[in-house]
Amino acid sequence: MLEIKNLKVSVEGKEILKGLNLKINKGEVHAIMGPNGAGKSTLASVIAGKEDYVVTEGSILFNGKNILELSPDERAKEGIFLAFQYPIEIPGVSTINFLKTAVNEIRAYRGMEPMEAKDFLAMLKAKQKLVQIDTNLTGRSVNEGFSGGEKKRNEIFQMAMLEPTLGVLDETDSGLDIDALRIVADGVNKLRGKENAFMVITHYQRLLEYIVPDFVHVLFDGRIVKSGTKQLALELEEKGYDWIKKEVSEIA
Amino acid sequence: MSVVASKNDTSAKWLEEFESTSANRLGAANGAVLEKQKKAITEFAESGIPDKKVEDYKYTNIRLYLNDEFSAKGIAGKLQQSHVKRLLFGGHATIVMVNGRFVKELSVLNNLPREVVVKNLFTTLKEGAAPAGVKFNELFEDSTNPLVLLNTALSQDGISITVPPGYNCVGPIHLLNISTGESKVLFNPRNVIRVGEGASFTLIETYNSFKLDEKIFTNSVTEIVVEKDATLNNYILQNEDSKASQSNVHQVSVGTNGKFNSVVVSLDGTMVRNDLNVAINGKNAEIHMHGLFAVKNGRHIDNHSLVQHNVPNCFSNELYKGIIEDGGTGVFNGKIFVKQDAQKTNAYQSNKNILLGDNSTMNTKPQLEIYADDVKCSHGTTTGRLDEDALFYLRSRGLNEGLARKVLLGAFAAQISDTINDDAFRRHVEQKIHDHIA
Repeated sequence: MLEIKNLKVSVEGKEILKGLNLKINKGEVHAIMGPNGAGKSTLASVIAGKEDYVVTEGSILFNGKNILELSPDERAKEGIFLAFQYPIEIPGVSTINFLKTAVNEIRAYRGMEPMEAKDFLAMLKAKQKLVQIDTNLTGRSVNEGFSGGEKKRNEIFQMAMLEPTLGVLDETDSGLDIDALRIVADGVNKLRGKENAFMVITHYQRLLEYIVPDFVHVLFDGRIVKSGTKQLALELEEKGYDWIKKEVSEIA
Repeated sequence: MSVVASKNDTSAKWLEEFESTSANRLGAANGAVLEKQKKAITEFAESGIPDKKVEDYKYTNIRLYLNDEFSAKGIAGKLQQSHVKRLLFGGHATIVMVNGRFVKELSVLNNLPREVVVKNLFTTLKEGAAPAGVKFNELFEDSTNPLVLLNTALSQDGISITVPPGYNCVGPIHLLNISTGESKVLFNPRNVIRVGEGASFTLIETYNSFKLDEKIFTNSVTEIVVEKDATLNNYILQNEDSKASQSNVHQVSVGTNGKFNSVVVSLDGTMVRNDLNVAINGKNAEIHMHGLFAVKNGRHIDNHSLVQHNVPNCFSNELYKGIIEDGGTGVFNGKIFVKQDAQKTNAYQSNKNILLGDNSTMNTKPQLEIYADDVKCSHGTTTGRLDEDALFYLRSRGLNEGLARKVLLGAFAAQISDTINDDAFRRHVEQKIHDHIA
């Protein structure tokens, strides 16, 4: 589904990703872990198409298509969703109207008719229930005045509404208390299926107790330096990142 | 009549026109008015048409839009019912003014409440006392504004609306202005609005053009008195075409416990200059002023406002928002003046602008002048680009760039249009804004 080859990315002239390789098949959940500044959020932003990032080398194929040539909205229409680390507050834009527009834009791209109002409302209700988001929140402007936890829950809700095939969760666990974390994780688990995949970026092993990954990758200094199963996450939790850094420097 | 000597090359033309239009001017209706017109033309001759040297017109040189090639003689527009139809909304009572003149045949008057007295100003002044309370130039005795003076001197007609004391006028009245032009014309419409004690009223003004062959300049002046315990909602939509310029002065006096709610939406026209001056003359009055201006390439929109807190315990709040496209120029100049006696004043002012292009220009000047010591006042202004992070957020959800921009600009504008409490007009304005920022 997603194939990243030798990806090199710079921001303001500084190289952040230095030849990253990663392959995600449908039905899989991949966790990306790593210390601060390793390039985790850069990876998420580049996949979503943020324009401040310059890809100097390498490729990202999504279902065989080179998405580096696509705009952010085209990537969303192809089935990629980024749950933001810091969701943006947009005063005056109603969450429901915005989602209706987004759903219908995506449908139009796929040659589908706009959704009937009653079908949309039914879907809205079902997904609200699925991710346990208060209707008070979805009735308001996008993220306006939301707490950190509410914003994250709204990201998962939007993901549920847009039904992407690849969900990229950028530190969705940061700033969440344990109850909120459980609700968010629960939402993701309900969305997991044979036809979709998730990339879960996190600092801590904690989230992975709830969203159990098929693979864990350690991102360090712009490269994936170690891959394994969920055992690797436990090991990292226990030993920290220093032993990885040491291993890397020994190889170098 | 004595001929006034011109001291200024931009006033000579208008002195001639003053003489040649004497049979049609408001002065022909009423001797006292004629004296006021004579006084006004004399005072106008001192200054002429304002240019950048006049502080209040520093960023808006009126001489660029109004020169000797224009005539104030006036032309009757030839419009059909079908031309007006597309400008109507909500089934409101509608007074149609073509080139500054009331046209009864095009107006929708069957649902006009009998209690509200609507007449063209010429007739009102000719009848003298009736209806009670209409006083020409009452609020401008000391005005030195050259364009107000020019209007006072040359005005031929306009509308007078009087809402009697205690009358709650439920449906709004739509004052529909249309300019047509086969030659370069200066119009000087003059309106006098009076909302009697304890009455409430909603006045909607729209400014439109119809197939202009030549440039026109509308120099409109409206005097508004909101008496004790009265409420006036005054909503304005300016959407003329690229050959039309306008200066639009609203001078408002608000009495004790009075409420004045103003919303001004300016979308099109070569040049739009608004002066909204509110004098608070009675305690516990409440003033809300909202404005949205969306300036296209090559256009110029200037909003000047003045809130005078003359008495204690009053509230005023002003929010103006601007969207300036590449090549457009916006001006905001807002002044709050608090007299020494006006203790316990609450006065707030804010101006927020979005520049859409590298060649967008915005000149903004919020001003506070406070002589009382027990007041709460604030002002602020921000000018910036459309929020890139918000744009990316929307795009990452599947909205293309154009649509994402439109959604964000729509939300920015909605904060103003949401304050219109007549549903039909609000929807009409939302549609115009939507079309405008496409």
